[in-house]
Amino acid sequence: MAKAILYDTTKCTACRACQVACKGWNELSAEVTTNRGTYENPPDLSPTTWLKIEFREIDPGGIVRWLFTRRACMHCTEAGCVKVCPSGALYHHELGFVAYDKDICTGCGYCADACPFNVPRSDRNLISGIAKMDKCTLCTTPGLDRLSNDLEPACVKSCPSEALQYGDRDQLIAEGKKRVESLINKGWTNANLYGENELGGLHVLYVLDDHPTVYGLPADPQISAATIAWQDVMQPIGWVVGGLTVLGLGLNYLVARASVNSDKEKENAARS
Amino acid sequence: MPQEVEKYSKPTRILHWTHLVSFCLLFLTGLVLFIPGLGIIAQDSWTRVIHRIAAAVFIIAPLIYIPMNFKATCKGIKRAFTWGASDLGWLKAAPEYYFRGTEADMPPQDEMNTGQKLWWLIVLVSSVILIITGLIMWFGKTTASPATLQWMVFLHDIAFIAAGSGLLLHIYLGVIHPLMTESWKAITKGTISADYAKKHHAKWYEEVTKGKEVKS
Repeated sequence: MAKAILYDTTKCTACRACQVACKGWNELSAEVTTNRGTYENPPDLSPTTWLKIEFREIDPGGIVRWLFTRRACMHCTEAGCVKVCPSGALYHHELGFVAYDKDICTGCGYCADACPFNVPRSDRNLISGIAKMDKCTLCTTPGLDRLSNDLEPACVKSCPSEALQYGDRDQLIAEGKKRVESLINKGWTNANLYGENELGGLHVLYVLDDHPTVYGLPADPQISAATIAWQDVMQPIGWVVGGLTVLGLGLNYLVARASVNSDKEKENAARS
Repeated sequence: MPQEVEKYSKPTRILHWTHLVSFCLLFLTGLVLFIPGLGIIAQDSWTRVIHRIAAAVFIIAPLIYIPMNFKATCKGIKRAFTWGASDLGWLKAAPEYYFRGTEADMPPQDEMNTGQKLWWLIVLVSSVILIITGLIMWFGKTTASPATLQWMVFLHDIAFIAAGSGLLLHIYLGVIHPLMTESWKAITKGTISADYAKKHHAKWYEEVTKGKEVKS
């Protein structure tokens, strides 16, 4: 049974308790930040910031709106990162999430380039190439696994305004749709539930009172053409070409050795 | 003692072996990311460190070789792109030779036969692609756009498939194939027997022996 997180932007007060709880539970160090004229900090996701609240100020029709969005791994069903990960460090958890085994990460960084939401972050030595990726594991990190211990994710646990909920994905979709309906009835005609069908279904669902792009979310997230060309076309071609080469060489060896031997035999027979 | 002719000069042989060793390392450390199930070997980036060290050797070796052997380099590059009717004849006759050992139909060849030339062409083109895309992935990892980096991996893969399969064939012909005995001598000691040269590289043999004594 797939689980999910439902995040309701209209209930979020941007207290950032989730941000702190995430760091606390996952033993991620704090970052030194500077006052950039916004409450939003740190400025971006990082290897030690897997979750952050984004702040946006927009003024449609002259009325200023202050929007908050949760930014972290979306736990896609069709996950670009899982598709390109060469070591299997990124994989689908039985509950549907994109779980991560940091020990076997090779540091290639393919996941970061393949992610439609630009989520994975790496600590990287550019010259040596030594790197490790980090991202939200939805509290399934071995040793810090809340979910298998029947606890909800740390971010959800800490949310005081019930903007975050954790539960069965189907139920949360129904719940989210109800919220959207009530928002539409209140006049938020662009309200929508984000994540129900995107990339085969996200495991983080968003109740939005406006278009996804207003909240900085891609309207139609897709696995990139390069990912498909590389993983679904070029790699299989490579296995076929490589396999046929090895087979052909083996066959050649058997035939060539046999004919060389029979030639020798003929020579010997001629001599004797 | 049979007469010998020089096939590969010493600098060429040194470049060959430096390139071969570094390319094998590059090939193997790349292969672990290509074959599902082997990727786990690459954990903690160590294969990627070796890949970078080998890449540095792979790039620097020809940079030293080229200015010191400029004429040979120009000649060699020109040769890779010079194709003619006898190449077609060679390709038609090759299976019979490589499987059955019958070489009656093989047209007279230059210093490189068609097969060697094809491999040399693959080496040249794929090396350029591998080096350019590799350098972008190496040093542009944090600055280039994700799309650029992904297409670089894609191109790197194409060159890897071509060069990797060719490498298997190259090693097979050089080391394992029952008939290929002179090529191993050529790339280790530098010479092949005059007899072999006459039979297999007739055009080239005529050129190098014209008005010259063959060293014995």
